[in-house]
Amino acid sequence: MLEDQDMSVQEAAAVVRHARARARRELVISAPLVYAAWGLVWLIGYGAMWLSVRGQHPYTGPSGVSIAAVFVLAAFAAAAVLVIISKAVAGIDGQSVRYRRIILAAWATGYLILLIVQAAISSSVSTRTLAFVGFAGPLLLAGLTYILASALGRNRPAFALGAWLVIVGASCAWLAPAAVLATCALAGGGAFLLMSVIGTRLRAHGR
Amino acid sequence: MAAETGLDPVIHAPARLRVMVTLATLRDGDDLSFTRLQELIGLTPGNLITHLRKLEDAGYVTTAKSGSGVNARTSVSLSRVGRKALDTYTAVLRQLLDSASTNGTSPH
Repeated sequence: MLEDQDMSVQEAAAVVRHARARARRELVISAPLVYAAWGLVWLIGYGAMWLSVRGQHPYTGPSGVSIAAVFVLAAFAAAAVLVIISKAVAGIDGQSVRYRRIILAAWATGYLILLIVQAAISSSVSTRTLAFVGFAGPLLLAGLTYILASALGRNRPAFALGAWLVIVGASCAWLAPAAVLATCALAGGGAFLLMSVIGTRLRAHGR
Repeated sequence: MAAETGLDPVIHAPARLRVMVTLATLRDGDDLSFTRLQELIGLTPGNLITHLRKLEDAGYVTTAKSGSGVNARTSVSLSRVGRKALDTYTAVLRQLLDSASTNGTSPH
């Protein structure tokens, strides 16, 4: 059937409403799900590391199990985010795809540099400095990445989250290692989860 | 009916309206593959081509072919003129609905 029949104004409004809702559901990356995935990594993973160092005198660092938990959680989150993004952008090509690749490359390069710096200074700096670079560094990097990504879609929630993560990450420079982990878990992971809730509400209202 | 209401007749058909609204969801500078658009709109390839041709003739969408063989891809995007036309269409639609609710009449 060639759909070319006339329609009333109400029918046209309904077509616009349904088509817009479906297109947003199918073609726009679900930011709330992405925030939730990373929020759980920060809250549970860093929370586990914090619990493992709480009360340590002297500080010897997080347990191997808690560090492994962070990597396992991060791997699951990365896989989930990859599926969410791949499903949404299937069939889409153009500027936003190129920008997304640049942002991902910037984040990956930054993370690699963080690991190299951490390895290079590990034997010559205090545990406090090492904790800041190793634990708060990834949060600072995530914040900067969100600020960069917010420019792509003039995305204010992403900018707000990025700015908050940068503030939280930077404030860790004044904290002891255990407090750094607690701050990243609660203020970092909590912010991701809060943005997930806000994003879900905004999406429900078609914004 | 479209002429009476001031609604753009090129857009004012269910399938073409769905195509326009779907493409408007993309960011400027992005395009959508024909296959994904067809999946979202739910038309046969032949019908979708017919509607796209009408929209293309009006300058509202652009289609481009790239690659060959199994890598062949037809992409569809909304033009600047098309985005403006859809904005005007939805504005007129809103006005008609508002005036109908004010007057308590049913716009047809």
